[in-house]
Amino acid sequence: MDEILILAETKETQIEKSTHELIQAGRELKSALGGILSCLLLGEGMDGAVKDLEQYPLDRIYLLENPLLKDFSPDLWVSSLEQAVRNLKPKVFIMAHSPTGREVGPRLSARLKSTLTTDCIGLRLDPEDRRIVRVKPIYGGNAVAVLKGKGNPELITLRKNVYSPAAPEGTKTEIIKLQLALSDQVVKVKALRTIFREQVELDKAEVIISGGRGIGAKEDFQLLERLAELINQRGIKALVGCSRPVVDKGWLSSDHQVGLTGTMVAPGLYVAVGISGAIQHLVGMVRSKKIVAINTDPNCNMFKVADYGVIEDYKEILHHLISKLEGLS
Amino acid sequence: MLPFRDTFFMIQNKWIFYLISGLVVAFVVLVFFYYVATWKKALSGKTNTNKRPNIRSLFIAIKNVFLGIRIFKDDILAGIMHFLIFWGFFALLIGTILLSIHEHIVKFLMGNIYIVFSVIMEIAGLFLISGTVIAIFRRYILKVKRLQSYTEDLLIPLFLILIVSSGFLLEALRIAQNPQRWEKWSFVGWYLKELFGPGVSEGAYPYIWWFHAILSLSFLLFIPLTKLAHTILAPTSIYLQNLPKEDGDKAQMEEEDSASEGSDKEAQLPQRPFLTLSHLIFLDACMRCGRCVEVCPSTLAGEDYAPRDFVQGLRAWVWQSFSSHGDPRLFTERSPDKMQRIWNCTTCRACLEVCPVYGPTFELVMGERTLAIEEGTSVPDLLNQTLERLYKYENPWMSSKKEKLGWIEEGSSIGFITKSFKPEFCYFVGCTTSVDPRARGIAKAFSNILRSSGLEFGIFGEKEPCCGDMAKRVGELGLFEEKKMSCSDLFQSYGVKNVVTSSPHCYFNFKNEYPQGMFNVFHYTQLIHKLIKERNLTIKKRLDFTVTYHDPCYLGRHSRIFNEPREIIRSIPGIKLIEMTHNRENSLCCGGGGGRMWQGNELNGTERMSERRAKEAKETGADVVLTACPLCLIMMEDAIKTLGYEKNLKVMDINELLKMAIDEEKR
Amino acid sequence: MKELKIIVCAKQIPDPEAPFSAVTVDSKKKEVKVDAPEVISPYDENALEAALRIKESSKAFITVLSVGSSLSDTVLRKAIAAGADQLVMVEDDSFGRLDSYSTAYVLSKAISMLGEYDLILTGRQAGDWDWGQVGLILGEILGLPTINMAAGITVRDGHVEVSRLVPAGLELVEAKMPALVTVSNEVGELRYVSRSKILGMLKKRIPIKKVSKGDLNLEPEFLNTMELLELLPPSDMRRDCVIVEGATGKEKAERLFEIIKQIL
Ligand SMILES: Cc1cc2nc3c(=O)[nH]c(=O)nc-3n(C[C@H](O)[C@H](O)[C@H](O)COP(=O)(O)OP(=O)(O)OC[C@H]3O[C@@H](n4cnc5c(N)ncnc54)[C@H](O)[C@@H]3O)c2cc1C
Ligand code: SF4
Ligand code: SF4
Repeated sequence: MDEILILAETKETQIEKSTHELIQAGRELKSALGGILSCLLLGEGMDGAVKDLEQYPLDRIYLLENPLLKDFSPDLWVSSLEQAVRNLKPKVFIMAHSPTGREVGPRLSARLKSTLTTDCIGLRLDPEDRRIVRVKPIYGGNAVAVLKGKGNPELITLRKNVYSPAAPEGTKTEIIKLQLALSDQVVKVKALRTIFREQVELDKAEVIISGGRGIGAKEDFQLLERLAELINQRGIKALVGCSRPVVDKGWLSSDHQVGLTGTMVAPGLYVAVGISGAIQHLVGMVRSKKIVAINTDPNCNMFKVADYGVIEDYKEILHHLISKLEGLS
Repeated sequence: MLPFRDTFFMIQNKWIFYLISGLVVAFVVLVFFYYVATWKKALSGKTNTNKRPNIRSLFIAIKNVFLGIRIFKDDILAGIMHFLIFWGFFALLIGTILLSIHEHIVKFLMGNIYIVFSVIMEIAGLFLISGTVIAIFRRYILKVKRLQSYTEDLLIPLFLILIVSSGFLLEALRIAQNPQRWEKWSFVGWYLKELFGPGVSEGAYPYIWWFHAILSLSFLLFIPLTKLAHTILAPTSIYLQNLPKEDGDKAQMEEEDSASEGSDKEAQLPQRPFLTLSHLIFLDACMRCGRCVEVCPSTLAGEDYAPRDFVQGLRAWVWQSFSSHGDPRLFTERSPDKMQRIWNCTTCRACLEVCPVYGPTFELVMGERTLAIEEGTSVPDLLNQTLERLYKYENPWMSSKKEKLGWIEEGSSIGFITKSFKPEFCYFVGCTTSVDPRARGIAKAFSNILRSSGLEFGIFGEKEPCCGDMAKRVGELGLFEEKKMSCSDLFQSYGVKNVVTSSPHCYFNFKNEYPQGMFNVFHYTQLIHKLIKERNLTIKKRLDFTVTYHDPCYLGRHSRIFNEPREIIRSIPGIKLIEMTHNRENSLCCGGGGGRMWQGNELNGTERMSERRAKEAKETGADVVLTACPLCLIMMEDAIKTLGYEKNLKVMDINELLKMAIDEEKR
Repeated sequence: MKELKIIVCAKQIPDPEAPFSAVTVDSKKKEVKVDAPEVISPYDENALEAALRIKESSKAFITVLSVGSSLSDTVLRKAIAAGADQLVMVEDDSFGRLDSYSTAYVLSKAISMLGEYDLILTGRQAGDWDWGQVGLILGEILGLPTINMAAGITVRDGHVEVSRLVPAGLELVEAKMPALVTVSNEVGELRYVSRSKILGMLKKRIPIKKVSKGDLNLEPEFLNTMELLELLPPSDMRRDCVIVEGATGKEKAERLFEIIKQIL
């Protein structure tokens, strides 16, 4: 029986939204392929996560609990996944195109000698040869490639925010505990310490106010912050994002970056302030429900993908918007 | 008895005086040799300065030395101050020499000649004193902002006052002892003599004489050790800077080639291959007068840059790097730090226009940029990306070659130059005019105007390369050479004889940085001016606007085209042209040239350069501010929007205005 | 001190930062064309910059290694002009569309041929196909400690210390060399390389080593091209944009405020 296996990811033992998206993708694939849909969960103290997963239409949950897997150590994870996959022999193994997936995916592919297609936005089954057809944007989004891979299992990482998360559904899920020989001998890279930075989770925001190179000074990001804060006060989760040049300048940390190499987002409202709309940025935000662009250049690309455009200096507009919002509360 | 004076009245051992004089002169000459030796080392043997004597240049130098025209410009008090000091000092120096000649060679200072001489010496002394008093007054009481004060700036005037007063005192003492009738022509001394009885004067005279003599000689000693060096170096600098340029760039490129080869062999000394002898002399001739600071658009916009500081920084660097015994100047800027600020300058040439020693600061800035570009790690990000784009896409914007046709309106027929269509004029649209939405207006209007004049023209469209101006100004000489080659090759292969440009930058570049005589180049204002004069353009409509005209730096100051644009504007009936405070060669840069457009906001000061200019335009009360350059157009448009003037003040290119006037009334 | 041997893997690609209008997708030939000279993939340039910075503080010899078809030394020469010491081009017509594993395999063979090394740097992903795999697979094939997504790299007594991007912030990790590190743009843009430096190399002899397929003893089993079924233009992202009009910025802002209120 063909098995579709997905890799669950957690953050502080909470299942990530991206995992729910994988479940949805797996489900769609299962309806064409048949067989079973299962999920692999690694870590330590995963009871809560298992409870969460149980609500979803999964046939099996493989649970690998080990103190060594508590934090994400690429070497240990790759080694565990290799063993798990070799044992379980799934037909398809899908990971999220998350920092974890991006790191373990290729290394797993090397060990299993099976083609990995990264950053896919669509999967379907070729009924003829029952292989998976993978759809992947390339050239930053300037083109879309449709590919197949060689080897088993079929390896895929899936772009976030493309599939909508699966809905919970009370099915019977079998929980299987995996026992693997794990040793920290495999660790070749020693983690010394982590410099924690408060992370903005852009993909969870309902509104993103994003600034680009058009923002003339670092201090002007306070305008964007203020706007987001005012929206937050109204009970709507709003965050500040940016394009890459802003990160390069060191004005905001990389977790604020939207786009191909930043976060892929699809909020209810995306406000692009002083962002020209380079393809690598666009691919990260075109799925937003509504897009508002504020730019002085009437011909900039952002206006081509926006629902509303304001041709004006951002300072003026933001100042007025802020005072309007302040007036409301 | 004939009026005369005993030169060494009451003085013994006058040989001591001559010995000291000889030593002083020897010292001064020696130090100047030291200057020359240091310059030579900085040039590492090459001499890329025109050596043929040039009358025009000499004339300019003489005019400046004796009349001090540049110093009078915009600052009459400074002009008077310098005039008084110069003539006072000069006359007294000559007078002293004449006295020696009279004493030892020919006796001629007698009778009426002596009387005239005496009067002149009195006046010279008074000139010198009053000049120095004005100098102190300006610097320490008026506190003229552009002045930057070191110890020498106080010391020198005090020194001079002391010398002249002791001279007058001496004269009074001498006359007091032997008051001859004719001595009343030495009127200051004559007047002062009343203060002293003969007894006093007899005893004091020799002491005061020696005091005055030694003071005067030691003053000479200070010439090469202080800013007084300009007495020799300023005229030299003015002369050299005004020499016609001899294919200077070719020389520079060649030298760079050899320099880059040399660098493989571990060059011992830091290289500044762009420095010429005239640059080095300018650096040492700079008086820190700050005139450049007063006109520099970057300084005016509150940015952390001033041409004088750059010059002084570079000067400090030269002496630090090449002198064998350090800097001979006693009071000066010792730190080369300020020469690091190389990205602010827009190469607008305003500093050169006012510098009393004709210093081309922007050339030095451009030279420094070539080094930064070669070195690579300090090139600002945006500039780095822009240059890459210029290389790959033939324009400094985020635009492809295809988009170069975007300005052509649907239905309008514009001829493309091909092997079979070789029109009289090649319209070189230029990258910014081709791709920038605002600047495209220039091309639209100009092509319409050309069509209605009946002149045959064509464009290269997608094939049109970048002329390389921006690369040149930011110091990317290799890229510039490549672009120059593409343009020249293209023009040659299609037999282009006449080129007309939208942009003053392309115009200046073609005219001055390309091989001479390959093709004729015009800026559109020149061509339109000609078309109007030859009655090939009929202006049909009256436009009742008040306008003001912003001279683009590369059209005005750099290319000296001031009148044509104004005449075109005036030829439109109804138009009233008012000038801004800064106009013609004093025009204020919009901030778009010299690659400044691609510097990001990091350099910005308290306001943008363009905003300053926009405010000035607003003050005239004009409805429209006209310009004749795509970069000015973009900058001004942006500034006017930022300032919120757009309701009352429009920005237009001359073309756009003219097109309105020649279009049929639409009904 | 021993000279560090650094290998930077660099791919030659069509400019991924090209303006839209310069890019055409040829679905028939399954090709993306950019009307401009090709470039070194931007993240590989970051990797090169990282190597150059290491070279600034310790003795190092930098080899830039590129695998592909129709490689052009006019593009890759930039790496030498920037300060790399040697360029190795492994070229074959069949290398045009190698899959990630095969590319890494060819690289690994070339690297073994080059002899000893301390550090291998690659970009985090190539700007054309955005696979993000070759560096990591190469690390696996060579059995090296592998560090992904470096934001900063320092080298100290036989060890490489890397601050790498992780979801929580920056993680400081350490590995014994030889090691492989993939580099993200946070390390900084490649220094500017002037045209005259690049052109100057036309006249000079540049240290380029050309390697052909035959020199590497490649096993055909591991040489696979990707199985590309289709190449399509991107799905249309265009929306009809309503421009918010107004005489002043204030008016526009007020209208925009109403619009935003409605959306929320
Ligand atoms: C492989 C690769 C991956 C990449 N990944 C990403 C990514 O993930 N995310 C990303 O963002 N980029 C990414 N990039 C970079 C991308 O190509 C662009 O360079 C970048 O997105 C441009 O950012 P920007 O729009 O802020 O800047 P610009 O393109 O410089 O645009 C600035 C805009 O501000 C406007 N403006 C200026 N002044 C004002 C004002 N006063 N008021 C209003 N508007 C103003 C201008 O008109 C202009 O449109 C990637 C590139 C590559 C090659
Ligand atoms: S460069 Fe010229 S204008 Fe400027 S301070 Fe020196 S002498 Fe004066
Ligand atoms: S050229 Fe213009 S911007 Fe540059 S230093 Fe001179 S005055 Fe300032």
